[in-house]
Amino acid sequence: MSDNKHRVTRRQFLNYTLTGVGGFMAAGMLMPMLRFAFDPLLKDEAGTDMVAVADVKEITTEPKRFDFKVKVKDAWYESEEPKSAWVYKTDKGEIIALSPICKHLGCTVDWNTDKEHPNQFFCPCHYGRYTKDGTNVPGTPPQAPLDRYEYKVKDGKLYLGKAKPRKEA
Amino acid sequence: MKWTGEDVALYERERDYIDTALLPLLPVAFGQGAKRFASGGELVGLIAAEVERQLKGRLFLLPSFVYFADEPRALLTERLADWTNRLRREGMKHLFYVTCDRAWQEGEEADRVWFVPVVPLESMDESYKHKLVREQAAELLRFLVGRWAQE
Repeated sequence: MSDNKHRVTRRQFLNYTLTGVGGFMAAGMLMPMLRFAFDPLLKDEAGTDMVAVADVKEITTEPKRFDFKVKVKDAWYESEEPKSAWVYKTDKGEIIALSPICKHLGCTVDWNTDKEHPNQFFCPCHYGRYTKDGTNVPGTPPQAPLDRYEYKVKDGKLYLGKAKPRKEA
Repeated sequence: MKWTGEDVALYERERDYIDTALLPLLPVAFGQGAKRFASGGELVGLIAAEVERQLKGRLFLLPSFVYFADEPRALLTERLADWTNRLRREGMKHLFYVTCDRAWQEGEEADRVWFVPVVPLESMDESYKHKLVREQAAELLRFLVGRWAQE
């Protein structure tokens, strides 16, 4: 009868099962390897994504502190790191977003808190000072100007990216 | 500075600039009061971490001084005095404690103790919690900066 055509022999059955199982095992081993090999290409460059920080309307010519959060991965913890930026507009309307991290030893600088030196950024730790554009005042501990955030404006919102060091003043 | 490998390496290079130690004093208990101490300790930790973030270049946040709440007070005071002396010998000109244990507000070191009132953090809204920590940290920061100017 035609039954014979469709009957699977023991040999065939074993062949099918072994190829099937073997194939899965091989795939199971190869997939992670390929994934590892191509991972650097697939991954977005860390830190390129920008975070919405403020409405452009809120920005005045007086530096104002905005707090925001960025995702960071520290060993095995993934957490949100609080960050701040001092943001203001120049007379020409250009937006400046400065990192508040003192270039000396990493304290957080404040705007206009030192009575003897108004309209400067002031570091409470070792009395480092920076002018409004972030340039370090010579004779105070910091040796470099404050970092500037990369920024973009989209739909009336200010987005900040990475803080980049500026050339020595 | 925090008690991490990276920060300690920086500390060793820049010792002259880092002259202030902040030591959390954390009571531990089981049974009665456990939750309150845990909550208080949590808040102390958050505030201390925020202050450290802002004053990183001068303040060294040390690992906590931990004790059981019912340890004899005299022994604790002695142990803390020993820690204090060691830190002073290491060049810490300014030394402050932050705690949720009211008992430290009496005694020799009382004027160097920053007391954090215990609030039930676990039943608090996330945004309110942030605000609370930020405000408390700002107060402690003002206290520290004020003392730097005085001492």
